[in-house]
Amino acid sequence: MWRTIVKKELLETIFSYRFPLFAVICLLLVPLSMAVNQAAYAKRVRDYSDQVRLTDEAAAAIKIQDIMAGTVAIRGFRRPAPLSVFTQGFESTLPRYYEFTQDGFKPGESATDDETILSVQGKVDFVFLVQMVISLIAMLFASDMVSGEKESGTLRAMLANSLPRDTLLSGKIGGGFLALWVPFLLAFLFGAVVLMFGAFPLAGGDTAVRVLIVLLATSLFILTYFTIGIAVSTSTSKARTSLVAILIVWAAFQLIVPRLGDMIARLAHPVRTETQVSLQKSLLVRSLDTETAKELGRQYDLIFKGAPEGAANDENSPEQKKWDPIRDDIQNRARETKSQQLSAIDETYLQERRRQLDLAVNLSLVSPSAAFARFIADVCGTGELERAKYVEAVRSHQKALDNELFSKVKRTLMMHEGGGTSMSFSAQPVDASKLPRFTITPATVAETLKANARSLISLFVWLIAPFAFAYAKFIKYDVR
Amino acid sequence: MAEHQAILKADGLSKRYEDGVLALDRLNLDVGPGEIYCLLGANGAGKTTTINLFLGFIPPTSGSCFINGIDVSKDPLEAKKYVSFVSENVMLYGNFTARQNLDFFARLGGKTALTKDDYYRAMRRVSLQEKAFDQRVKNFSKGMRQKLGIAIAIVKDAPAVLLDEPTSGLDPKAAAEFLEIMTELRSEGKAVLMSTHDIFRAKEIGDRVGIMREGRLVMERTRDELHNEDLNRLYIDYMESAGQPASA
Repeated sequence: MWRTIVKKELLETIFSYRFPLFAVICLLLVPLSMAVNQAAYAKRVRDYSDQVRLTDEAAAAIKIQDIMAGTVAIRGFRRPAPLSVFTQGFESTLPRYYEFTQDGFKPGESATDDETILSVQGKVDFVFLVQMVISLIAMLFASDMVSGEKESGTLRAMLANSLPRDTLLSGKIGGGFLALWVPFLLAFLFGAVVLMFGAFPLAGGDTAVRVLIVLLATSLFILTYFTIGIAVSTSTSKARTSLVAILIVWAAFQLIVPRLGDMIARLAHPVRTETQVSLQKSLLVRSLDTETAKELGRQYDLIFKGAPEGAANDENSPEQKKWDPIRDDIQNRARETKSQQLSAIDETYLQERRRQLDLAVNLSLVSPSAAFARFIADVCGTGELERAKYVEAVRSHQKALDNELFSKVKRTLMMHEGGGTSMSFSAQPVDASKLPRFTITPATVAETLKANARSLISLFVWLIAPFAFAYAKFIKYDVR
Repeated sequence: MAEHQAILKADGLSKRYEDGVLALDRLNLDVGPGEIYCLLGANGAGKTTTINLFLGFIPPTSGSCFINGIDVSKDPLEAKKYVSFVSENVMLYGNFTARQNLDFFARLGGKTALTKDDYYRAMRRVSLQEKAFDQRVKNFSKGMRQKLGIAIAIVKDAPAVLLDEPTSGLDPKAAAEFLEIMTELRSEGKAVLMSTHDIFRAKEIGDRVGIMREGRLVMERTRDELHNEDLNRLYIDYMESAGQPASA
């Protein structure tokens, strides 16, 4: 009986005018979006490779004098995420690189500088198509599956037979979804072939697993929206009412709730921009350096006041022997203070972001669309998880550079009470070829799943709840 | 009709809707094998409510209805195995061909092993034109749809057939063909309960005719009793007078 219903729903959908329209939309737009985004990705990879090569060349040419002059700024570039062909996520908004100096790191520009008008209009990628086009079509397909059949009387004709309502409902969902899923699957596979022809590393690393997760999650997402459509259809007795209700529900889930969550989170927990934080850190460094220089100048003046001429340049003079440990102590304390205060700024900033993000995520989980977008972005390495990994890698790289490069030169700036300044240097040799390379350790699939537990729970609930709702409604549905 | 023989039976069947309207008031009727029972009555008399109760679409407020001895309220799925239903406007899937519609509803009726020839035979039996067998139903006339609806009932081959105003809107030729098929079903031993406004055809085909008014069966006559009576006159009289429940 179930198979009969599934077959009927499948055929009925295929024979309707909507099906070829949907198939054409899928088969055109999905591969096209993948091809366009792959071209953009390939361009970003070329840029990345060129930039990394230039940075490596510049790093190899670093001289100790440059470090002494404080002009060394090493850039660490983020490799574009291959799976950004599916979803752009933060790909265009993340800084393309961070700049590391002995005073800390600061973000470079994002990749949006070479974007087109799409930056304003919103990008068209696979996830966008699924969220904004396919989900709507899925709901529209479902809109008249119950109320439309009631209106036409065929529901009555079917239920005049020994047909359990749960079988009818699940058969409708199964057949209707299959009619949606097959063209979608074909479009997805076609898109994958297009990617492979474009030399996309589909089989590299865990990419294939991630692509399969994207396919599976997207399929379930479409099923979710289809079932929501069925739930709406079981709540109305006229196809036209279903249609209006579906458009309202879709707009709420797609457009209002996710943005509302973000807006509320921004209002409740405002966060400074990364540039503001960098500025704050620069100001702090300058202020601390000035204080240190003043302290050093004061101590220097106390020790060398009245000392014989040349004592400052004589390593064995008693003044110099007294000065060296005091200078080292002041500089060590200053370095520690600076490190602590900079870390505190970073930590505060991260906490602010985390608090805002947590609230936004929790609020947006009301919409399956937001949960889906977050999950897929993380699976594709363009989401929040990638951003966190990027920041983690930046902090770790700064420490490595401090150890391997910046700490090799000790600059001692002193500001004397009379207003004069003086500077002395001590340097150790640096092997520029052995400087650490900037790398971001990507999140594993397991990490991604764990980090997205809330999104996955939300998607699961959204998969089950509409079905349960539709079932409860349909069991008592008035078919007359 | 003796009780043990009834295929369709209503026993003190009442239905009061949520808005308080009493649509059916203690209806007692039974239809035996090889019998056509015609239910006459104005709109809102309770004819369609009776059929909806037999199909389990609505629960009775009190009383019971039985199909082949099975209480519809208690086991609607089992009861519906033994009944076919043809509505006024036979509802079919417009994008399916006649055969596809027939195949789908036959499967729902539990007939899963029928062949294309079986379907063609059923469609020939209801005089559906051969060229229409594999045509999409969306362009079918009402008469053609009605024929296909009956073909569906024939294919299901249930002992009871419920018809809700089946001749409404049919041209005289189609109506005559329809009555011919009903006669055949009767000869096959089917119990047919037909609600209709068509007094003339009810008299012509009905083994028994009941008149409903405001949810009550106010008159019931057998074919023999009607032989010398003017059913049209009777109908008008009962519609105009305050009805009394018919004696069993």
